[in-house]
Amino acid sequence: MSDNAVACHPATPPPKGADNPFVNGLWKQNPVFVQVLGMCPTLAVTNSVANAVAMGLCTTFVLASSNCLVSCVRKIVPKQVRIATFIAIAATMVTIVDYLMKAISISMSKALGPYIPLIVANCIVLERAESYAARRPVVKATLDGLGMGFGFTFALTCLGSIREVLGAGTFLGFSVFGPHFEPWVLFLLPPGGFISMAIWLLIFATWRERKAKKAVAAARAEEEKTQMAVLA
Amino acid sequence: MNDSLTHIFVDSLLINNFVLCVFLGMCSFLGLSQKFSTAWRMGVSVMFVIIVSGVLSFGAHALLAAFNVEYLRIIVYIIIIASTVQLTEMFIKKTSPALFRELGVYLPLITTNCAVLAVPLFQDSRRYNLLQSTVFAIAASAGYCLAICLLALIRERTDLSDIPSLAKGTALTLILAAILSMSFMGFAGMGSGG
Amino acid sequence: MTPTFPMMKVLGTVSLVCGLLIVATNISTSAKIHQNQEIVMHESVEHLLPGLQKQIVYGVEDSGDLKILPTVEGENVKRFFAGYDASGKLLGIVVEASERGYGDLISAMYAYAPDRKIITGFQVVDMRETPGLGSRIASDPEFAKNFTALDATHPIKTVKHGTKQNPWEIDAISGATISSRAVGRMLAKSVQEMVPVIEKNMDRIQRGN
Repeated sequence: MSDNAVACHPATPPPKGADNPFVNGLWKQNPVFVQVLGMCPTLAVTNSVANAVAMGLCTTFVLASSNCLVSCVRKIVPKQVRIATFIAIAATMVTIVDYLMKAISISMSKALGPYIPLIVANCIVLERAESYAARRPVVKATLDGLGMGFGFTFALTCLGSIREVLGAGTFLGFSVFGPHFEPWVLFLLPPGGFISMAIWLLIFATWRERKAKKAVAAARAEEEKTQMAVLA
Repeated sequence: MNDSLTHIFVDSLLINNFVLCVFLGMCSFLGLSQKFSTAWRMGVSVMFVIIVSGVLSFGAHALLAAFNVEYLRIIVYIIIIASTVQLTEMFIKKTSPALFRELGVYLPLITTNCAVLAVPLFQDSRRYNLLQSTVFAIAASAGYCLAICLLALIRERTDLSDIPSLAKGTALTLILAAILSMSFMGFAGMGSGG
Repeated sequence: MTPTFPMMKVLGTVSLVCGLLIVATNISTSAKIHQNQEIVMHESVEHLLPGLQKQIVYGVEDSGDLKILPTVEGENVKRFFAGYDASGKLLGIVVEASERGYGDLISAMYAYAPDRKIITGFQVVDMRETPGLGSRIASDPEFAKNFTALDATHPIKTVKHGTKQNPWEIDAISGATISSRAVGRMLAKSVQEMVPVIEKNMDRIQRGN
């Protein structure tokens, strides 16, 4: 499977069997590991697990609410202005989450910095609005938004875990290796972001290849069985 | 802020390169860097959009601040960016239809490029004046162009190399980007006075 | 091709609804946000001036005169915090300063004792420095020792790690020269700007009005 499907590719149809939108977003079409979208915040705010989870939850809020609203207006928005409308809705939701974050925790808002307003430029938001929410009823669209959002949060947490544990020796602020651990600071720096992401993609690629090999082997075994049955 | 113009320029171009250090413009950086010819064309288009929308956003921010409605800035910046992209599309269509066809669907996608939206946001938080904002926009977008071109050149080379199938595609691109990012860290002490 | 008017109508309605949502959020959260900001400010000032019982926020006008600011709002105005103990005696003055570091802006506060003309404390409020290296300006206890009695009568300077000789010098963190130098520049500039204003209005600040 080519994972060169990046650069915010235009609307992709969901794979077969994606009838549960929540699970689909969480795993099968995970926005980070499968679709490779939304890379900017993924690499930028994952140098600590707390930041990663917070960013993930903010994006989930924007995705779910934006999908919901887009689905509500999908029947009355003319084709020419649909992108402009989707963007306006996304920008509104992002502004709302920005202020909510400041009201809930100023320190977290400062830590995430400019990346919260940048959620509006997160490819995932527009892609889901355009390819899914604009054609589905409200409930399904919202579930899809939630699923994608939680899938995103899960991916960010995976990345954040590697980076924080190896780069600072802590997990959520709690020391993991004790005081004599010399942290691999590289993982907290920009190259570390790239490397951690590459590691996870390689892990998943290996896992998928193993699964595919098993499937091929199983199919071959089945074929042999039927052939033996025919010969017998 | 009283940053000198040279410092802003060198900083945004190299020391805190928008793509390799601040992680902006990632999606197109990873996706459009297979061929150098596409990469530099995209880089130049993004440069144009960033510079124009950066300067316009500065004006818009001043206007919003005057009326005390700064919470509308995200929507206003997005509108400015979308309009600039639309203008750029029309301009390219008229002057070079071949380029327009080649860039295809990626041209309107500049609207969702985080780097473009980040420029006015950074201008706000660092309180740059008009001249500083313009230099910042030019340098940051040149940094993006530089990074995407460098990666494209490297990728064209590695395409001919023997790479395990597991790593082909995005994983390899990320590792290449990591090495590029590490090399850019060498610019750390450049031009910082005091 | 859809005629223009319905398009504009839809776009207009959507924009209106979006605008209303934003305004509603702004109105409902602004009080809490201000409260949060005040709490953070107060905690920082308290940390820098132990024994703080009362604080007054002074804004500096262009003429050099002071005016009392009722809240911590108005970040565009140069301001400082005067802290007093229970008996009304001036404990010290906390000044905000910021400077471009290696990453983005470093925002910090420092405590100034006008009677001894020294800086008695330094605290980073916000920064984007390199984790593990530049970020140590906020966490390194050795670096913090620079600010227990930093002489403010001479221009403040950051010197190479281990070469500090004078009380107005700051010993840089080895491996974090740029961030350390930014702190030095920040303090030097701020002291140069604010101390004359503070001295000029010393009577008023002592009285606390």
